[in-house]
Amino acid sequence: MSFFGFGPSADIEIVLDGQDSRKTAEIKTEDGKKEKHLLYYDGETVAGKVNVTMKKAGSKMEHQGIKIEFIGQIELYYDRGNHHEFTSLVKELARPGEITGNTSYGFEFQQVEKPYESYTGANVRLRYFLRVTIVKRLSDSVKEQDIIVHTLSQYPEMNSSIKMEVGIEDCLHIEFEYNKSKYHLKDVIVGKIYFLLVRIKIRYMELAIVRRETTGAGPNTYNENETIAKYEIMDGAPVRGESIPIRLFLSGYELTPTMRDINKKFSVRYYLNLVLVDE
Amino acid sequence: MPSTPQLSPQEEQEKLLEEGISIVKNQSFQMKRCLDKGKLMDGLKHASTMLGELRTSLLSPKSYYELYMAISDELRHLELYLCDEFQKGRKVADLYELVQYAGNIVPRLYLLITVGVVYIKSNELSRKDILKDLVEMCRGVQHPLRGLFLRNYLLTCTKNVLPDTEEELATNDYEYGTVMDSIDFILLNFSEMNKLWVRMQHQGHTRDRNKREQERRELRILVGTNLVRLSQLECIDMEKYKKVVLPAVLEQVVSCRDPIAQEYLMECIIQVFPDDFHLQTLNPFLKACAELHESVNVKNIIIALVDRLAQFAQNEEGSGIPPEIQLFDIFSDQISQVIQNRPDMPPEDIVALQVALINLALKCYPDKVDFVDKVLETTEDIFNRLNLDHLEYGSPVSKELMRLMKIPVDSYNNILTVLELSHFGPIFDYFDYQSRKLMCSYLINNVLENDTRIPTQDQVDNILNIVNVLVQDQSDQPAEPDDPEDFAEEQVLMGRFIHLLQAEDPNQQYLILNTARKHFGGGGDKRIKFTLPPIVFAAYRLAMRYKEAKEEDENWEKKCQKIFQFCHQTVGALIKADMAEMPLRLFLQGALTAGEIEFENHETVAYEFMSQAFSLYEDEISDSKAQLAAITLIIGTLEQMSCFGDENHEPLRTQCALAASKLLKKPDQCRGVCTCSHLFWSGRSASQEGELQDSKRVSDCLKKGVKIANQCMDSSVQVQLFVELLNHYIYYYEKGNDQVTIQVLNQLIAKIKETLPNLEANEETEQINKHFQNTVEHLKLRRDGSETEGPSYEELVL
Repeated sequence: MSFFGFGPSADIEIVLDGQDSRKTAEIKTEDGKKEKHLLYYDGETVAGKVNVTMKKAGSKMEHQGIKIEFIGQIELYYDRGNHHEFTSLVKELARPGEITGNTSYGFEFQQVEKPYESYTGANVRLRYFLRVTIVKRLSDSVKEQDIIVHTLSQYPEMNSSIKMEVGIEDCLHIEFEYNKSKYHLKDVIVGKIYFLLVRIKIRYMELAIVRRETTGAGPNTYNENETIAKYEIMDGAPVRGESIPIRLFLSGYELTPTMRDINKKFSVRYYLNLVLVDE
Repeated sequence: MPSTPQLSPQEEQEKLLEEGISIVKNQSFQMKRCLDKGKLMDGLKHASTMLGELRTSLLSPKSYYELYMAISDELRHLELYLCDEFQKGRKVADLYELVQYAGNIVPRLYLLITVGVVYIKSNELSRKDILKDLVEMCRGVQHPLRGLFLRNYLLTCTKNVLPDTEEELATNDYEYGTVMDSIDFILLNFSEMNKLWVRMQHQGHTRDRNKREQERRELRILVGTNLVRLSQLECIDMEKYKKVVLPAVLEQVVSCRDPIAQEYLMECIIQVFPDDFHLQTLNPFLKACAELHESVNVKNIIIALVDRLAQFAQNEEGSGIPPEIQLFDIFSDQISQVIQNRPDMPPEDIVALQVALINLALKCYPDKVDFVDKVLETTEDIFNRLNLDHLEYGSPVSKELMRLMKIPVDSYNNILTVLELSHFGPIFDYFDYQSRKLMCSYLINNVLENDTRIPTQDQVDNILNIVNVLVQDQSDQPAEPDDPEDFAEEQVLMGRFIHLLQAEDPNQQYLILNTARKHFGGGGDKRIKFTLPPIVFAAYRLAMRYKEAKEEDENWEKKCQKIFQFCHQTVGALIKADMAEMPLRLFLQGALTAGEIEFENHETVAYEFMSQAFSLYEDEISDSKAQLAAITLIIGTLEQMSCFGDENHEPLRTQCALAASKLLKKPDQCRGVCTCSHLFWSGRSASQEGELQDSKRVSDCLKKGVKIANQCMDSSVQVQLFVELLNHYIYYYEKGNDQVTIQVLNQLIAKIKETLPNLEANEETEQINKHFQNTVEHLKLRRDGSETEGPSYEELVL
């Protein structure tokens, strides 16, 4: 904007407290690239400094006020114009006036509620960011800084195994068992498949992890299934009585926590899909 | 469009393998490069891609094996690298977890095993747990070929790291495990591999069955390696083998119900575990044998075991088979159980099992004849039960049975021990004619080769009953007679055998000869000419024995009398069979023997024998040559005898002279009377001391000879006779016969000299000439010699 020479311009920089010591996390962007940001949890204070640096030393800049916002929002890709902000906090950093030289403003959002986990999916994105706005007469100077939020959860009180008998009549009868019904992100799925009846020639068997992302509500519900992992657990045709072990480490896959009806906008669920392929 | 040439299946395989190998080479090269640069993750990725080649279903077991070998070589490189890194302290955290992200199970498990072994070698984590995890995870590969090779890789990699201690090692941070963990590990791997191997049999088209079975046989070593590994664990003692290892292995073998697997694995057990283990576990092992699939050749398995134990019993000095193990009884019981369980077992296999058993008995218990007899009894029972007899010569069961019967014969090398086997003889009845004959010849040959003397009547009776087929005609013999040469050979065998019937005690010997006579007497005309003469000779020999020991037996004379009666009658049997020359000789031999023994009545007996010889000569011998030979023999015999008084000697010698002069041909007559002349010279009579030396009668005989010679038309024969006569004359001249003068000699020489040159020159003439020259030479020596004794040759004209 400064190309047109509307007054002097300035660089805005947001420096969060403990930037060097705080944990970071990665998240995918919409276009699939990975970004690294600082990691916050629910209730943590988000504080720091905003540095405004004049591009030309000694110049002045008039403004209508400087503010910083803390925003949590859900973006539906098919509804670009509408961002659903579920959290929006504002702090005024400076009253309208004039900046002469480089200036630094401290800010602090105390014990911010961050109810949801950052997420980038196929149709939806949930993100948290800080936005500094220098209000000017013609065009505001804006600077955004993303942070990543991980939610904490407790180990479930009940975590029974999944055990089921399925089959095709007179063809195939299997019993499978996974040791838990709820897994954490670095968990290991341990289980086994027991063949009760085999009358077809099986080539192989694999276990797939499928992520189902549901967006919208009512008639406008969109479901997006994505296979996160494909894991061959058996090669060749077993006979009756064989039991095949399963052990799948989860930490290597890009999983997120299961999300149910986040702000009435979307859900993310995970399924285990057992696939048997015959000749 | 260019047509692609059709590849043969073999070329197809070669091509596929070549492609696979080239990918392996390429990937392993990249893997090593990454490892050299320290890029472990990239290295693992290449390893995984390389291992992806083992996912193929297109290769035959043989090609797959080659691919597997190429890859496992490369994996060794990875393992070494990782071990090195671990040793340098550069541990890669969670490597064991990391390799499990590989999406495909086959590469994943190969990597897991490789890394698992690295962990074990660097004492990371519990060795016991890793082993258990690896062998469990391998269940994921259910494809037989791929599974077998994967598990073989597991077995190979863990070869040197299996815990082999009784107790947990206390010093370790992690659980090291004990030999029991290793046993569990191998047993599980074994049963899984066996299941995969057996499964191959049931996959694919039935028309490929032979090919499939061939392929399975090629792979069997993979399964067997598990047993080898078990046998290499030093901490497996008898107790563990008996209680843990063997029951589990047998359980798997029996329950898989697969003939190929059962046959191979049972043999494998026998071969890989030590003999003293086998000795302690015979019952369970043999019981398992009885439960095997009916098309399994149990026979081979049991025989293999027996052979091993038999060898063990012989090799081991001192220890041998522990006395508390009733090896024979166990085998005997279990084998009969096996036979009972398998009603369809071919009889030759049943017999083969008995062969094994008898070998066992002989090698482990050489003194226990009753063990061997028990085997024979069982065999007999089986044949009875199966209603088998007249086993055809050359049939498998007949061959096996022969093998069985030859074993005691060969191993005892003593027919007398064989005779102690009460069931040996009866089994002969199950053979057909030809097999029986062969077996009997074998038996008799054995007696001859070992020069075994048969010392009692019962034993003789026993043997002759067994070899009855060589003694008498059989009800089942073929209509056409045996080949005469074979027949003669086999009867000669019997003749030789008779000479081995020898008792210490002469009375027993007499009984033996009677028994033999009874058996052989029924042999028919063709056989007795081979078998009775030896009996007669044996009898003469026996009579001589009585004479030699006459002080010990006061009844010796009566016994001799009896023996000569026995002989007389035996020779009579030969005469009845239309023989003449042989009986004649036997009579003459008898006369000689009787004459020598001088028992009461011996002169009568000798005279009787001589007269029998004469009547045979007169009645039965008509051929002129045979007549000459016979009369020569008679004369020779009489000349040797001195037992006759004049009243007997006179008629005999006169009879000889008469017979000689009555020969048909002139030359025969001539020679006959010349021979006869000696009766009057050196013959002896009991009535006077010394030789007869009847010069007159001698001279008469010779003159008669000259007369007859003169009558010969053939001048060649005539000269020959003259030369012979000259020799007789010279003999008597030298002996001092006063009727023979030097003039007679001169006359004969002159006559010969005159006739000889006129003979046609031929070989015969040559011979006559030589004979004459030699004679003349002799005379010259005499004439010119310095000897003063004997008559003078001064007047001799040469």
